[in-house]
Amino acid sequence: MRARKFWNTVPMKLWLLLLAAILFSFFSNDFGLVDIQKTAVIVAAGIDKTENGFSVTSQIAVPKGTDRAQGGTSSVNITTEGPTVSDCITALFGKTGWVPKLVFCDLILLGEEAVQEDVIAYLNYFLRNEYMPDNCLLAVCEGSAEKLLTSQSAIDDASSLAIEKLFSDAAEKSGKVLTNTLKDFAIGYYGVSESSYLPFVKMAPQKGAEAGGDSSGGSGGSSGSSGSSGGAEEQIYTAEETALFLKGKMVGKLPAEQTLALSLLEGNVFAGTFSAQENGQAVTLTVMRNSGGVSLDMKGTPTAKLSVDVTCRLCCRGTAAPIEDISSDVVSPAVLEDANKVLEGYLGALFENCKQTGCDFLELKKSLYRSSLKKYREWKDYLLDTVRPEIVTDVKSMK
Amino acid sequence: MTKISRRQLFFFLAFMAPVGKLIVMPARLARVCGNDLWLPALAQFLLQAAAVFCVLLLAKRGKSLYELLSGCLGKIAGKVCVLLVGAFLLFAGLLPLLEEKLFVQGVFYDTLPSLLSFAPFFLFSAYLCSKPLASYGRIFDLLAPIAAVGFAGVMVFSAGNADFGAVLPVGASGPAAIARGFAGSFAWFFDAALLLMMLGKIEYKKNMAWQGALCYLGGGAAVVLFLITFYGIFEGTALNQLFAFTKTSKYFSGFTVLGRADYLFIFLLSLVAAFYTALPLTGAIESVLQAFGRPAALPVLLSVGLSGIYFLLVYLFDYRFGDVMRAVTEQAFWLFPVFTLLLPPLLLPLKGRKHESA
Amino acid sequence: MKISGSLEKDVAALKKLLPAEDILTFEFTSAKGVGFAALFADPITDKELLGEQVVRPLLRYEGELFAESVKKRITSPEVRTESDLEKLSEEILAGNPVLLWEGMDEGIITGTKKVFVRAIAEPSTDVAVKGPREGFIEDIKINTSLVRRRLKTPELKIDFLNVGRRSQTYVAVCYLAGTSVQRTVDEVKKKLGAIDIDIVPDSSYLTHFLSARPRSLLKQVGTTEKPDIFCAKIAEGRVGILVDGSPIALTAPYLLIEDFQSSEDYFVPSYRATFTRLLRLLALLVAIYLPAFYIAAQLFKLQLFPVKLLMTISGSIRDIPLSPSLEMLLVLFVLEVLNEASIRMPKYVGMALSVVGALVLGETAVSAGFVSTPAIIIIAFSGIGLYAVPNLIEQTSVLRLVMLLVAGSVGTYGIILATAFVLFYLVTAENLGAPALAPFAPLVGRDLKDSLVKYELGSLGLRPRTLKSKNKRRLGHD
Repeated sequence: MRARKFWNTVPMKLWLLLLAAILFSFFSNDFGLVDIQKTAVIVAAGIDKTENGFSVTSQIAVPKGTDRAQGGTSSVNITTEGPTVSDCITALFGKTGWVPKLVFCDLILLGEEAVQEDVIAYLNYFLRNEYMPDNCLLAVCEGSAEKLLTSQSAIDDASSLAIEKLFSDAAEKSGKVLTNTLKDFAIGYYGVSESSYLPFVKMAPQKGAEAGGDSSGGSGGSSGSSGSSGGAEEQIYTAEETALFLKGKMVGKLPAEQTLALSLLEGNVFAGTFSAQENGQAVTLTVMRNSGGVSLDMKGTPTAKLSVDVTCRLCCRGTAAPIEDISSDVVSPAVLEDANKVLEGYLGALFENCKQTGCDFLELKKSLYRSSLKKYREWKDYLLDTVRPEIVTDVKSMK
Repeated sequence: MTKISRRQLFFFLAFMAPVGKLIVMPARLARVCGNDLWLPALAQFLLQAAAVFCVLLLAKRGKSLYELLSGCLGKIAGKVCVLLVGAFLLFAGLLPLLEEKLFVQGVFYDTLPSLLSFAPFFLFSAYLCSKPLASYGRIFDLLAPIAAVGFAGVMVFSAGNADFGAVLPVGASGPAAIARGFAGSFAWFFDAALLLMMLGKIEYKKNMAWQGALCYLGGGAAVVLFLITFYGIFEGTALNQLFAFTKTSKYFSGFTVLGRADYLFIFLLSLVAAFYTALPLTGAIESVLQAFGRPAALPVLLSVGLSGIYFLLVYLFDYRFGDVMRAVTEQAFWLFPVFTLLLPPLLLPLKGRKHESA
Repeated sequence: MKISGSLEKDVAALKKLLPAEDILTFEFTSAKGVGFAALFADPITDKELLGEQVVRPLLRYEGELFAESVKKRITSPEVRTESDLEKLSEEILAGNPVLLWEGMDEGIITGTKKVFVRAIAEPSTDVAVKGPREGFIEDIKINTSLVRRRLKTPELKIDFLNVGRRSQTYVAVCYLAGTSVQRTVDEVKKKLGAIDIDIVPDSSYLTHFLSARPRSLLKQVGTTEKPDIFCAKIAEGRVGILVDGSPIALTAPYLLIEDFQSSEDYFVPSYRATFTRLLRLLALLVAIYLPAFYIAAQLFKLQLFPVKLLMTISGSIRDIPLSPSLEMLLVLFVLEVLNEASIRMPKYVGMALSVVGALVLGETAVSAGFVSTPAIIIIAFSGIGLYAVPNLIEQTSVLRLVMLLVAGSVGTYGIILATAFVLFYLVTAENLGAPALAPFAPLVGRDLKDSLVKYELGSLGLRPRTLKSKNKRRLGHD
């Protein structure tokens, strides 16, 4: 009887025990817990090559003030050095007491020196890291990544936010920039083409402007943190050029017009512009609809067909025009003819760039691999050397 | 609540069973077979569906596994056999459990948490497994729409980012790799063995066997579609993507405004995964109960004891998931076809002497 | 003890059974010279009616002294005879005077009870903008009359029982014969009959005895204050229970989905009803999970916040001395105290209290840096959400606390496991043969038409299958 009574009360006792355990862990809560206050929320990282390894500049988001004041986000830049990227990021903890968290890292910027060797040698840290999103944007910058990240943007509080604006969907659709993420870069690197591309970011001073009061700038961190808030020259950033990568190394660049051509080939462009000539005067056309593609014909000599189909409207003339002309969007046949020539020129240069650098950004090898494994094995080593271009452009006017 | 209805069983086969195959298996298959990862999975689903068909034919007899075996082989042999199936389920459940642990630590936390953060799972499994297997029927009813919504959500966010051509050319990895992938993926296919323990608790209806097999294949088709999408998103880097279903949806462009809304669907699938992970343990406990009867305190003691043992194993293999996976998928993989593919058809000819109950 | 026939002895015996001072005896003699005595409980007997309908006719009575003959002279519509003294004493305590006389074979019970009732009013806990506004009151007779008025069918059965050793509370079991499952009716009656309790102050006492798992967090008996809902549930095949002294009626079997349905849903277009039901579910989920996920995200999974929101939160909690989980627990505690106090406080203080709660505590606590603004917003939103399903407040407020504790301890995975646990608990729960989570688990396709979605009335021709009613059709004929 007593035993049965005991067993009947066991569930209740177990519940109480469980409740006690939950309360204990709730009030003591620390299972490797790192709350916001102890966390360095890294929103961007710049990687430079140094003599002894790498330097990583981490742009860390910090609240501007309490919510009752102004809200918003500010940032501090801290540069750390070490033999590997991992060491650099871990050094952040040792030098600031903040635990670095990469889950919000939206941008990785590679310094010009750093891309002269296989970038996966250090980007592998991010690919290995379960707590790092691989959909962050990846870009190369002119000169040092640290310098660019710690610069004062003319258009945003934090330089990384200003750079990310360059890579927005709208910017990409303009054909002025080709963006890439860590994941897609890695897919290109580990794919049969072993090629990829990244936007190439440059900065230039904004004339007649100085940094405002409270924004980012580098608050001193550890080794070599740079930038000061007051008085720094405001910068604007551009990414019209595209860096080409083969086996992880930067092997060349696409100038702005080839960046546009590749965007058109990818069929991405909407509301982007390019110029043609009419009677020796520049005429700007706006792309309203675009499709494009690359196909490979392996009959006889391999031929890559680069086709671009563009529907555009007249956007601007370099000369004064009567009101009847201004009220019409229609592009004249002469301009269309020249526009076709312009695009053919861009695409031809693009193809040559592909051949010269060996960077298969047109994904010819991938295309061959998917269509015929046998032919891929036969041609993979000299496909780019032998392939001939066939360029087809069709520029139409809006009616 | 004494029987699992036809609908509930079909829900399990079509919606719950696939969830366990969406965590580590895709990356594992991508590692071995590259773009052909879906071929071994498809083969496994076809074979497993045949096994499911056999088990559901057995369900027509209305007898538990022990009753079937003891009716033909005698009580002692029956007990030994049913306990062997239970032991197999305990073994088969270890890999999904370690998967679930890694999944929890990787997906639910920003930094690697201590093992204690996974400990509540064992409280849950101890509670769950102390309940009769037949009471799972209703949870299948509830989890089916949850799994369907979770899976559909993940797929909607994922499909737009996939290059489905990435699985071409079919067979590129070669027959040897596909065969290795097939053998290695046995570890995730033991659903027919789980069904064996449900025998006697299934409410048999006409044509249930082939309908059940079709439901299982329907779930399998969803997994194959997911595998193709998964490879279409990650291509050559797919082998690096553990916890597959949490990875594919994050590239949806709308998240720049919404934040990671896909977590809602990931959490729904995680809820289903928690139940699925505890099922082998329930099956193992059921085998003991079939063999030795059902005294009042035994299910509770068994579920607490076995959950405790599982906790110890997880503690022991905390940083040795790779070793365990290799051991299960490369050395001990043959156990899976024995218990899940061979046993059900072997049981079909058993007629039995007379109905004997445990 | 039986009546002896001697007036003196029987009055003495009854006085011995009822020694209280408010039990009075009125003695009078008929025209024939026979002595009569009326025994009654002074505060609950209508003496005027007693005089008019019982005493006055008997003063001129000259007929036989058999109870059946005497009964015919009494003009009260409710007259019964009884020979057992103990039962007579019970009637006196119930407010029904007992009439004895010299040489009687049985005593007469007259229904001249004095009834104190409040007026029928709209219940404060079950308000509907559209639809009937009547609510049950404390008197069981009026309550049964409200039911009878709506169900004018001989199939409506109202079986009375007395529950409570001392209170002898009237309990009415109402059901539609041929529609309710007889086994359920019998089980309810059996459970009520087996109750061995001192007094039954309210119907909620009975829920404990009607529940399969009395200690369960889950509600197992439905409650309503509105006769229209009560009748609708009876018409679906449920058993209704009215308790004297309680305006809250009980219905069984209970399904969890009932509390997401409001009477108003049946008086508005079906798309609106569906929308509000889904809204109630969403509000309830937000109420339970929002504080928990907020804490889990802050402590364990920052990625659940978009980065800009994270910075806002980070800025606002920067100077808060408490950990996020303790802060949330504190705010929740304050909310619960305010809620409890505002219910119990007199109305004129209640207004002041809400001002104190909303302005002084909230605003000052944020300014003083005790708590952060996001925490207050989260708890406020959760608090409002809870009241979207008022009948489940007791359960959901506990669940919210549990989820918060689990989230603060183990994080998001803890919330998922706790949810899994609750789901499994819910699917295994059943009372009086009905699964609590039906029609979702087990899935009953037909019943889904009036669950979280509400089909228009024409599609709801059949009674819920879950309740296993014999009479399946409610629209048209079988």
